[in-house]
Amino acid sequence: MDFKHDILPLKNIIFRTALRIILNREEAEDIVQDTLMKLWEKRNELDKVDNLEAFALTMARNLAIDRKEKGDNQLVSFDDQVHDRPDEGLGGTDSSLMHQETTSFIADIINALPEKQRTVLQLRDIEGKSYKEIANVLSISESDVKVTLFRARNEMKEKILQKKSLFL
Amino acid sequence: MDYKYIEQLIESYFSCTTTLQEEQILRSFFSQEDVPGHLAQYADLFNYETGAKAETLGEDFDERMMAQIEATELKPMQAKAHIVKLTTRHIAPFFKAAAVVAMALTIGRAAEHAIGEQETEENSHVVAVDPYIKSSDVRQAIHVKDVSQAEMKATNDSIINLTREDEIQ
Repeated sequence: MDFKHDILPLKNIIFRTALRIILNREEAEDIVQDTLMKLWEKRNELDKVDNLEAFALTMARNLAIDRKEKGDNQLVSFDDQVHDRPDEGLGGTDSSLMHQETTSFIADIINALPEKQRTVLQLRDIEGKSYKEIANVLSISESDVKVTLFRARNEMKEKILQKKSLFL
Repeated sequence: MDYKYIEQLIESYFSCTTTLQEEQILRSFFSQEDVPGHLAQYADLFNYETGAKAETLGEDFDERMMAQIEATELKPMQAKAHIVKLTTRHIAPFFKAAAVVAMALTIGRAAEHAIGEQETEENSHVVAVDPYIKSSDVRQAIHVKDVSQAEMKATNDSIINLTREDEIQ
């Protein structure tokens, strides 16, 4: 087991998943560090793990949920942080501004969902994971994953249609 | 252009019957510039999904992470420091043993002394009872008592010195 080769490459998927739960970049980064550190400490036992990525994500999710519960009075929100990204403001045209606004509208809907729905949506629609993998990460059944995803996607649809009707 | 296929995929997407591949087709479709008006409302959703995957950690993360990993690799040195500490703890019982020996010696001497005193008392008793006893005998008895006291003090002093030396060590 080599840290740089086997563990470090998991950093970004862990980061995005943790960020989706804790909704704060700095804390998500701390969680990535803690998770990678723990994996490294357990490197001798990892041979028995058949899906290292799912194992790492489960670990990160638990850490993120714990932290979220401890400091839920966080005022810095996910999209404040995410949309501080310099590359998003690069266009500077009206259309890119519009895009930024609507993108944050989607982010707002997702981030207002319950944690389980947020995480399932993140793993399926952003990370492109199978139901089986997601079930593994969350330690729930595949049908539970499907039901959760169904609720999340339909909440999004409803909000999108609501917004459309407001603008018409 | 016919968008029936895409419309169908969108419907399947919301009923969670699309495959991962079909979901990728939707994201690719919406990433193009000219999305027909009636589907445009979903463009933001699928484009957000595409964009959110580009979210990554800063470039300095690896450096910090590797520094943390290397810091833990140094831990065996700290373990060595612990072993030194353990050695000090190993010596401690010897101090205790020395103290016990010192106490045993002291008590032993004290007991001997007490017995000696008793003997002297008996002797003096004899003196009182027997008026014919030689005075040199009495002197001798007193001498023995004095000697044993002097001896006792010397031993005590050397025990104290020994214990001190141990403590200094």
